[in-house]
Amino acid sequence: MEVKINKQDNNTTVVRLEGRLDTPTAQEVNQRLLPVQEDASGTIILDCEELTYISSSGLRVFLTLRKAAAMKGGKVIIRNINDNIRNVFMMTGFLNLFDIE
Amino acid sequence: MKKAFSLRKTVLRREFWTGMLLLVVAALTLEASSLVQYYFAKKSIIEIASKRADDNLENSKVDILNILNQVETAIRNDIWMVRSCLPNRDTIWKVTEHVVRENPSVVGSTVALVPGYYEDRELFSPYSFRSSSNGEIIHKTLASEEYDYPSKQWFYEGLKHEDGFWSEPYLDTGGGDIMMTTFSMPVRDYEGKLAAVITADVSLDWLKNVFDDVVIYPGSFGMLFSREGKIMVSPVESLVMHRTLQEMSKQYEDSIAMKHFTNSVLSGENGNLKIRARKRVHRVYYAPIERTGWSMSIVIPNDQIMGEINRHTRIVSLFQFIGLLMLMFILLSAHKNQKKYKKLSENEERMEKELEIARGIQMAMIPKTFLPSPEREDIDVAARIVPAKEVGGDLYDYFIKDRHLYFCIGDVSGKGVPAALVMAMTRSLFRSVAAHEDSPSTIVSNINRSLAEMNENNMFVTFFCGILNLDTGHIKYCNAGHNPPLILADTKMKLDAIPNLPLGVMAEMDYQEQTVDLRFDDSLFLYTDGITEAENISHELFGDDRMSKVLSVRRNAATHLEVMEKAIKDFVGDAPQSDDLTMLFIHYIKAKPGYSAHHLVLKNDIKQIPRLTEFIEGIIEEKNIDASTAMGINLALEEAVANVMSYAYPEGTVGEVKVDVRIDEREITFMVSDNGKEFDPTTRPEPDLKSGPEERPIGGLGIHLIRTIMDTVSYKRQSGKNLLIMTKNI
Repeated sequence: MEVKINKQDNNTTVVRLEGRLDTPTAQEVNQRLLPVQEDASGTIILDCEELTYISSSGLRVFLTLRKAAAMKGGKVIIRNINDNIRNVFMMTGFLNLFDIE
Repeated sequence: MKKAFSLRKTVLRREFWTGMLLLVVAALTLEASSLVQYYFAKKSIIEIASKRADDNLENSKVDILNILNQVETAIRNDIWMVRSCLPNRDTIWKVTEHVVRENPSVVGSTVALVPGYYEDRELFSPYSFRSSSNGEIIHKTLASEEYDYPSKQWFYEGLKHEDGFWSEPYLDTGGGDIMMTTFSMPVRDYEGKLAAVITADVSLDWLKNVFDDVVIYPGSFGMLFSREGKIMVSPVESLVMHRTLQEMSKQYEDSIAMKHFTNSVLSGENGNLKIRARKRVHRVYYAPIERTGWSMSIVIPNDQIMGEINRHTRIVSLFQFIGLLMLMFILLSAHKNQKKYKKLSENEERMEKELEIARGIQMAMIPKTFLPSPEREDIDVAARIVPAKEVGGDLYDYFIKDRHLYFCIGDVSGKGVPAALVMAMTRSLFRSVAAHEDSPSTIVSNINRSLAEMNENNMFVTFFCGILNLDTGHIKYCNAGHNPPLILADTKMKLDAIPNLPLGVMAEMDYQEQTVDLRFDDSLFLYTDGITEAENISHELFGDDRMSKVLSVRRNAATHLEVMEKAIKDFVGDAPQSDDLTMLFIHYIKAKPGYSAHHLVLKNDIKQIPRLTEFIEGIIEEKNIDASTAMGINLALEEAVANVMSYAYPEGTVGEVKVDVRIDEREITFMVSDNGKEFDPTTRPEPDLKSGPEERPIGGLGIHLIRTIMDTVSYKRQSGKNLLIMTKNI
């Protein structure tokens, strides 16, 4: 699981997730995203183009980030999710919680 | 077997007759030796008797001759006196008087002159005799007209015998019937011319006592006969001088011997012979007294001579007889014992043989070739009976008909041949009934009816019968009092089986049928109570737990049974196997090609989840499942397994999570199981998917995902395990 964080000038942070976000990796990913959660007042873009898999633990990571952003006035945008992951989002009602582009 | 028996019988009989022959030989030998002994003993005892008789005869003869010689000598010594007195005949009185006076045994004496010796006296015979009343000596002349002495024996014989002559005994009619004899000797004058006969009349009264010593045996006696056969001495006194030997001999039955005796006695011979008289055998010894022409006899009853030897022989014979009897008794009892022993060992042997036969029957009746035959991939069946020494009545059977596996296991009450026969019967009934019935309860009812009707020994059979549809795993089964089989599916569990009554108890009995569905890879373990009740030397039972433990490892059917048998043997040790051990293991592998089962065991560590992913992807790949479904499956499994890993076991403890997957043409079944605390995720409430992010719960998503992805989800708590079973249609 690769997590690439790219902080841009316009108070936007792009987080690129590559690989499987499953139970064993979710915790690690959460750790990696702690700085992003700290600084969540801007726009956080989760680029899921290379995300191949997500489980409920991964969703939890997304939700944690979402809550942090909401508290700090920021927003989370999910981009480039594949159909399978979109399906998981749909099954869990996450489609309504996130801005998905 | 019959041949062997008759041969043994023949040998036995031969041994018996050998023994009897031995006995006869022993008896003959003993008898022969005692005969020889008897013969010599008899010979010697007869010799002794003969010797004693001869001695007696000799002694008596000497006694008699002593007395007679005195008379002879006295007469001989007085002859010169007579010769000198002849010229003066009146002096002859002196001589006769002298003879009587000087010899006490002489009763009377005369000198009888040859007729015409004196020209003036034709007959002259002066006679002196002792008066029987006062003992005085009286003189008289014998010659008279009534008494013509030249005609008398004593006279004419006396003349002829220079040495003297003893006359026949006679009774002295004048002197009280005294038996007398007369000794006569011729007297010549100086010219040598026969002049007279001098005589001495001798009383034979003393002869009565002459044989007193002859009583050498009880009943023995002596007799004396005169030259002419007159009886002179006899134990029967009335016979004396009144009977002759010749007359007597005619009275006795043994005429030949008696005649011989008579002749011998009359001709003055000596000897001995046996005479039968008055129904008794007598041994008679006889010897002559030549001087007088008499004959002495000693008569001894033969049984008296033989008495001792007979007594001796009787004692010896008695001992011999007792000995032989004892020998015979010993032989007989030995023979009997031997027979008994032979019979016993025969019985034992026969019993052993019968048991072997029974075991043979038992073993011949059960299928030997295990499924799968090499080409079978859908089922793996193995069974075995480990027979006890004393054959029990365990049975199993199985066969495949129209893609159905018919199987049964049973245990006949009792042991030995009867049990084996009932077992054989039950198995035959199963085969014949199951050939045209496809309902286990019908099969069981039919077998039950037949057994109950034939059941004369009140034997019953616990029996379990099932039919497994090889395509679906559906089992119809019926139990008749047998211990329920184990299902080794997700866990081991006893099949829920209504006990019902054993077979053979009641002919009209309704047996209930039940069903169960085997999943692919499930196994059924049927067994008799010989397994669980196998006892070690301290009378502990092998029990369910030990049995379950053996079954908890994955093995093929045959190996399972091998391991089970070994485990039991190790447990039982030296204790004798008291009952048959019978097991039937049915492993339902897959119904068709393309069906499969997969298994994975993980530790309760989320770092193991990639292994699960790999495992699931392998299955997915095999089944060509589309990516979306594949991910769904992956997700559901991860949720289920991660859930267990996170919550089932207390923190820090190591536990397992098992994943079993079965695939058939329509669906994939997943089962996630753990030994952790009871937890049913399906009871968790559905999360509110519409709530806002702030209210959105962190938990509960996993089970929701599972529910959403899978077509069915169910939870079971079984044997201390949490089972989450999920199916996905494909």
